Amino acid sequence: MNISKVIVIGAGTMGSGIAQWFTQVGCSVELTDNSPAQSEKALKDIHASWDKLAEKGKLSNVDELKKRLKVSALDHLSKDADLVVEAIIENLEIKKDLFKKLDAHFAPHTILSSNTSSFPIALMAEAVSDKRKPQFLGLHFFNPATIMKLVEVIKGKDSSEQLCRDLYAWFDSKDKKPALCKDSPGFIVNRVARNFYGEPLRIVEQEDEAKIKEVDHILKEVGGFKMGPFELMDLIGIDVNYSVTCSVWEAYGKEPRFAPHKLQKQMVDEKRFGRKAKRGFYKYD
Amino acid sequence: MGFISMTNVQFDNFLINFGFGTKAEKQEILKANPEKHVIMDLTCYDPQDFYDEYPQLKGTFAALFCDEAKKIEVHCLKHEPEVIAKFKELGFTPVETTIVSCGFIFPRTIVQIINEAHFALEEEVASKEDINRAMKFGVNYPKGPFEWSEGKELYVKTLLFELLQKTGDKRYVASKLIK
Repeated sequence: MNISKVIVIGAGTMGSGIAQWFTQVGCSVELTDNSPAQSEKALKDIHASWDKLAEKGKLSNVDELKKRLKVSALDHLSKDADLVVEAIIENLEIKKDLFKKLDAHFAPHTILSSNTSSFPIALMAEAVSDKRKPQFLGLHFFNPATIMKLVEVIKGKDSSEQLCRDLYAWFDSKDKKPALCKDSPGFIVNRVARNFYGEPLRIVEQEDEAKIKEVDHILKEVGGFKMGPFELMDLIGIDVNYSVTCSVWEAYGKEPRFAPHKLQKQMVDEKRFGRKAKRGFYKYD
Repeated sequence: MGFISMTNVQFDNFLINFGFGTKAEKQEILKANPEKHVIMDLTCYDPQDFYDEYPQLKGTFAALFCDEAKKIEVHCLKHEPEVIAKFKELGFTPVETTIVSCGFIFPRTIVQIINEAHFALEEEVASKEDINRAMKFGVNYPKGPFEWSEGKELYVKTLLFELLQKTGDKRYVASKLIK
């Protein structure tokens, strides 16, 4: 498989990280966003990150990298890309509308993919032509995309099995750690990780600062986790975590294993969103 | 039930009971040692049930998922420096907790992650290898769920059953792949 030309749509945190990673592994990348200012900001930040790495002696080909990453307007994208990665806002209708346009714009060989963490690949694939459907799949990166090794390669109902296997091998060859998975709610990580939050919430049951600290301490010290569940929820955002929990719970027909905890809702209602609000399970003054 | 055999370590007036016996086996050990101060591995059960019934039980611990780092979660009714020192002498790093919870903190959390990984496997979402890989490289887990559960499925199932019995919450129903 040859992936040399990549287009990343969406220049937010995920999109810019994905664009940076593809450039670093040798691809020519076009980054685009419906806000040109956002694209430019992302480009500037990526350049700054490369300059910093070069200063530390960790990168020697900064000029070459800068040449291979460019910002393009959404309506002026090259038509012959090998791979398109969509990383825009999590809104199904907006995504479907975008994929319809991308399908019409790109060459038949172009692979279209979504970095969605919440929508079924099959639903988004409805927007593309039958010819494109085998070339449509999910590629779920983790933040920060340049550091986190995992890419979930998600096979939609009509995605070509061979394409998924080839992409798996390609990512593997580029020092990512791909995981092939079926198109099901939460894919692997957002499903299996739910109880890293849900069970500690049930252990403490109600707000108790000492217990919360202790659970975090035990899971780090004994379990070997880098962060405790409460610290991590505060970092992710209690609102974001609660929303993912509810989305997975709903998608599995309110299966009790995924049920949100009352404390999550209470904290969201009180706008105690974690670090970003300076108040969560911990206080950040 | 196929539980591995238990080992007792005795010193001064204390007895430390290692291993993952059945509830009845654990109770037998307590009944046989009414004069001792017993510290017992109760990973798969609710320590409170035992504390309520056996005053000789002075502390509990959870060593089910103890790995080469030999860190174990220990709960003592009152601070017992001799017990902590003994664990250290035996090569463990005891980490004390004040929370009494069925399955303690780490095992209770990890069995639920293991259970979900088995449900995902049951539904053919991904292979064991890819689930392990996803959790280690997507969210930095120190081990994959199947690496944690390897050879311990019976105890995982026992703890899930105990949690189901205690709470009546169906979230603890075990995947049929955990045998």
